[in-house]
Amino acid sequence: MITDEHGSAPDARAPGTPAGAAVSARGLTKHYRHPWTLKLTRGLTDLNLEVGRGEVFGYLGPNGAGKTTTIKLLIGLLRPTSGEAWLLGKPIGSEASRRRIGFLPEQPYFYDSLTGREYLEFAAQLSGLGGQEASTRARHWLGRVGLGERPRLALRKYSKGMLQRIGLAAALIHDPELVILDEPMSGLDPFGRRDVRELILEQRDRGTTVLFSSHILPDVEMLCDRVGVVLGGKLVRTATVNELVASQQQRVEVRCVGAPLIEVPARWRGRIERVELPEGTTFVLADEREVNDVLAWLLANGATLRAVTPQRASLEDFFLSVAESEGQSRRMA
Amino acid sequence: MTALLIARNTFREARRDRMLVAALWAGGVLLAATQLLSPLALGEGLKLTIDVGLSGISFIGLTLILLVGTSMVAKEIDKRTIYNLLARPVARRSYLVGKWAGLAATLWVTAIAMGAGLVLLLVVRGHVEHLAPIAQGVYFAGLELSVVTAIAVMFSAVSTPVLSALYTIGLFLAGQWSYDLRAFADKFPPAIAAVCHLTASLVPNLPLFNIRTLAASAQLASFDHVAMATIYAVVYCSAALCLATAALETRDLK
Repeated sequence: MITDEHGSAPDARAPGTPAGAAVSARGLTKHYRHPWTLKLTRGLTDLNLEVGRGEVFGYLGPNGAGKTTTIKLLIGLLRPTSGEAWLLGKPIGSEASRRRIGFLPEQPYFYDSLTGREYLEFAAQLSGLGGQEASTRARHWLGRVGLGERPRLALRKYSKGMLQRIGLAAALIHDPELVILDEPMSGLDPFGRRDVRELILEQRDRGTTVLFSSHILPDVEMLCDRVGVVLGGKLVRTATVNELVASQQQRVEVRCVGAPLIEVPARWRGRIERVELPEGTTFVLADEREVNDVLAWLLANGATLRAVTPQRASLEDFFLSVAESEGQSRRMA
Repeated sequence: MTALLIARNTFREARRDRMLVAALWAGGVLLAATQLLSPLALGEGLKLTIDVGLSGISFIGLTLILLVGTSMVAKEIDKRTIYNLLARPVARRSYLVGKWAGLAATLWVTAIAMGAGLVLLLVVRGHVEHLAPIAQGVYFAGLELSVVTAIAVMFSAVSTPVLSALYTIGLFLAGQWSYDLRAFADKFPPAIAAVCHLTASLVPNLPLFNIRTLAASAQLASFDHVAMATIYAVVYCSAALCLATAALETRDLK
């Protein structure tokens, strides 16, 4: 079992009965061996993860961290080196495990000669819908993702954003219970990102479980109930967004006037950042616990306070700090 | 069921491919060429027309297999369109059977269209006695192309498009010479002869599907021959697709 920097398991909810969770993985590992050089590449090591039903789970990590490897293992496109996993209680790799899931690959590619409507009908039928039902839903979803005006346009003429939308429609057309999206916002303009966010929120409201990987942290912060951070093929932390952000040290910004000549005492150097602006001076405190001492010191030196603003740590701050601490611990090892 | 859906989609894609239109045009040109060459055939013009017409079906079919079939699975893996299928409740064997069936159906349609062109030409020239043998020739060409398609799909599942094209051509040529290989084997010591016989048994027995000479002389192949060729094609295609499935089942789709 991997433990994070706090000594706890990455997934606070240890994997229980596979049938009870939407996604459950135990010791899932994928290593690749080069056929000629026999060099071993560790794609994913000992993943223990559980995603509850109805949850929106964000899977974060830098490029090459193992996000896509995890998703491909879950979908059954890759065979695990060891370990086991279940989707909606069914073992990965089985057809049954894919029956009630929707999947959007990173940078999806489609059959160029098909029209959007034909592709959606095909996708729906492959997921078990009858011809008439598939046709009805294809029309509905084409309109839902904003492509309904040109149903006969061949996919080869679609822009990148349009392809992403048709891919999402194909992932959702059969009302899956679990949706797995690999970088769904990648390459989209702000409007496209907003639409994808709305679709994910809509799925959450329907009770669908959503697992998605992303680099775009503000979106993850906005959408996810919980996130997992994967680095170097290992899941290093899972928690709710609030837990993660709360675990970060809160910074405080103090704005005041009349302090340009006050010198920061030596004991606070390195912990207080000073920014001189035309409208006054701003002190950024790395640790909120020092705010009272700093305020007392400023008032004692004749400064006039204008504002004291706690700076809420963002998911991005958390992600960067975890990545840096992991990098440091590896260098030390 | 999913195999049928994939076959239908493969057929639809192939139908929209310019390659198929080009192949049909090439067939038409080939038939027209036989009419220009007939006067030079010293009274064998009819035979030349039938022989070239039926050979053209095999040749154009083989060209389509090399251009489309040998890259079919590899291209899907490379372009990642395969994710759209295998992320759904689709077994890898159904995927391969569907791809094979879709391309084989395309080749059957091409063969029938070219056969119909040949029949039309002969009817215009008043040779109605050759219609049944030509229909049988088209059927045999369809069986032969189905077998070669299964071989192409098998190689495509394990190799790159260029290599699978080379392997398919190699096996096609070896298959065409399988009878010669058996005859050749008898000239060697027993150990080498056994290897040659084994090789001849493994390569597709394509001469079994060649009834062009019979058709040119307005003769029909026997029922036993038709049954044997049909069963052989079914068994060989099944074996090739089983091997392809075994290879694809264990393959990581990166």
